[in-house]
Amino acid sequence: MTNEELVKAEDVTKVYDTGKIEVHALTGVALEVRRGDMLAIVGPSGSGKTTFLNLVGALDVATGGQLAVLGQDVSAMSKRQRADLRLHALGFVFQAYNLVPVLTARENVEFVLELQGVGSERAGRAMEILEKLGLQEFADRRPNEMSGGQQQRVAVARAVASKPQLVLADEPTANLDGENAEILLAMMRRLNRDQGITFVFSTHDPRVVAHAHRVVTLVDGRVAKDENKTPASLSDEAADSQEK
Amino acid sequence: MRFSISTRYAMCSLRRHLRRTILAILGIGLGSAVCLFMIAFVRGEGKMMLKAAAESGAGHLRVVPAQWPETRENDLRLGDWENIRDLVRDTEGVTVVTPHARTEGLLAFGTRVAGVEIVGVDPETEQETNRLVRNISQGHYLRSGAPGTTVIGFGLAERLDVEIDDLLMVTAAGADGEMGSAMLRIVGIAQTGSEEIDSAICHVNLGDVESLTARPGAADLTAMVANPKRLGHTVRNLSEKLSDDYAVVTWEQIMPELASGVKVDETWTRLTVAIVMIVVFLGIMSAQLAAVLERRREFAVLSAVGMRGGRLIRVMLAEGVVLGLFGSVLGLLLGLPAAYYVATKGIDFTKMYGGSDMAVSNVLFDPVFKGDFGWWLIPLAFELALTATILSSLYPAWFAMRTDPAAALRVEQ
Repeated sequence: MTNEELVKAEDVTKVYDTGKIEVHALTGVALEVRRGDMLAIVGPSGSGKTTFLNLVGALDVATGGQLAVLGQDVSAMSKRQRADLRLHALGFVFQAYNLVPVLTARENVEFVLELQGVGSERAGRAMEILEKLGLQEFADRRPNEMSGGQQQRVAVARAVASKPQLVLADEPTANLDGENAEILLAMMRRLNRDQGITFVFSTHDPRVVAHAHRVVTLVDGRVAKDENKTPASLSDEAADSQEK
Repeated sequence: MRFSISTRYAMCSLRRHLRRTILAILGIGLGSAVCLFMIAFVRGEGKMMLKAAAESGAGHLRVVPAQWPETRENDLRLGDWENIRDLVRDTEGVTVVTPHARTEGLLAFGTRVAGVEIVGVDPETEQETNRLVRNISQGHYLRSGAPGTTVIGFGLAERLDVEIDDLLMVTAAGADGEMGSAMLRIVGIAQTGSEEIDSAICHVNLGDVESLTARPGAADLTAMVANPKRLGHTVRNLSEKLSDDYAVVTWEQIMPELASGVKVDETWTRLTVAIVMIVVFLGIMSAQLAAVLERRREFAVLSAVGMRGGRLIRVMLAEGVVLGLFGSVLGLLLGLPAAYYVATKGIDFTKMYGGSDMAVSNVLFDPVFKGDFGWWLIPLAFELALTATILSSLYPAWFAMRTDPAAALRVEQ
C-alpha cells in the first residue's frame, strides 16, 4: 500500500448467512482508493455498493480477503477500535436519517466533536464549520425544520467536523431534487479540492458520477469496470449535469 | 447550566415522545407512592407494636438469670438483684427499671376460684413500665410498704364476683414443694378494655410473692430505654457489665410470637413493594425497549460517526435517570400526603376485628394503626424510583449497543 492509498481491497468477499441461504454480496473485490479521490461506485441494486462502503467504513467486517483502511486491517480490529477509526478518520453521509432529530444542526455537528473529546470550545468550532459551509442560518434549526437538501448539507458538515481523511457517502442525493443535489455535490467538490478530503460515493445518480474522478462499476458483487475519467470528460459531464 | 450533548440528547429524546414519557413517569410515580405509603405504614405499625409490647409489661429489655432464656422457669431468681437494678439504672439509655417475680397460683373467693399468674412488682416503678395497670377504674394501684394487697383485672373481678376491699385467698407452690397461701385485700381493679387482659391481671407487692413462694428476690428486672432504635447498643453495653450469671434479653426474645408476627408483616411488605417495583420496572423496560426499536437507525448513524457502545449505554441510562427523577418527585407528591394522613389520623381496624379488643399474648394494641413519617421518605422515594428506572434501562441499553449499524442502515430501495 503506497502512501497515497487510503483504502486497499484485495480479493474481498462478503457473505451474509441468513440461515436458509447464503447471499454473496461481494466476491473477489480488488480496488484501492487514493488520497484526494472522488470515487463513485455504481451498479444496479444489489450489486454490493453499500456493502463495500460498509466494509470500508468499518461498520461491517469482510468474510474473506484483505481490506486495509488507512493502513489498518479492519477485519483484525475490535468493535471499539473500529468505532475509534470511524470517529477520528472517517466521515459518513447516508441517504436518509442522517441527523439526530431532537438536536439542532449545530448540536448534531457538536455531538461528533464531543465524542472526540473536544471541550467547551466545541460549540464555537461547530459554528465555524457551519459558517465555512454557508450553513450558519440553519444552526439552531432541528432536522424537521429543514428541507432534505439542507439536512444533507448539515450531514456533510457533521461528516467533516472530525477532520476525516475519507468521507463515505451512500446514495447522498437519492432523496434530493436536481438543484439541491448539485448544491450538495458542489459543496463536496470544494471540500475535496480545498481540504483534500477523499470522497467515496455509492450511487445510481448520474449527477454524482459526473462529479467523480473515477468510477468503479460493481455487478453481482464483482468489479466489472474501473475507469478514471479524463479532465475533459469530467468537466463535460459536470456541465451537462448542471444544465439538466 | 450547560449540559453535554449526550445529556441533551437523552433529555430531548424523552421529550420527543412526550405522551410515552408522561405515562412512564406516571407509572413510576404511582408505583413509588404506593411503596412509600406501604413502607411508612408498616414502619409505623412495627413501632406501635414494639411500644405496645414494651409497655404491656415486657419492657424493651430484661435482665434475667442466665438459664431463663432456655428454661423460661418462673422459679429462677436473680442473685443480688438490688445491686443489679442500680447497675441497669445507671446504664446509658435506660430510663426506668422495675423488678418482677412471678408464680402461678389460685385465687379464691367463696366458692369461686380462678387460676392466674401472680406478678410481684415494685409499686413505685411498675406503672412507669406497664400501661395496662395505669387505668385503675376502681380503687388505687398498689403502694409500697402495704403488703397483703392486690390489684386485679376487671374480668377477674367479675369472674370471682368481688369488689374493692374484698379478701381473696391465694395459694401457690413454694420452693420446698409445699403449698403456700395468704390473704390479699383488693385495693384496685384495673380495666384495659380487653377481656383477655382484664382476666389475667393480678399484681401484688414483690415481698408478697417472696413470702408465698419462699423464694427471695426478683426473677427479672424489666427496663425501658429512651431510644428503642439503639436497643441493640444498650443490650451490648449492659451485657458487658454483667457476669455470666445473668442474661439480657429483648422484647423479641420475651415475646417471640409477637416478634415473628412483626417480622412476617415486614416480610410481606417487602415482598409487596418488590412486586410493585417489578411491575414498574417491566413497564419502563417495555417503554424503553420500544423507544430503542424505533431509534435503531438513529443509533446506527451515531455508531457510524464513532459513538462507542459505552457512551450509548450512558445515554440510555441518562434517560432512565431523568425518568426516575421526575417519577420520584411525583411519587413524593402523591405518597407524602397519604403517608402523613396515616401517620396523623391512622387507619382504624376496629371494625375489621369485629369491634373486639386487640389483645394478643397479653399485649394490648391500639386499634388505630398509625404509620411512620419523616424526612427519610424523601431519599427512599428517589432510591426506589431511580433503582427501578436505571435497572430497567440496562437491557434496552444493551440491546441498543448491540444494534448492527450496517443492518439497521439498510434502506429499502
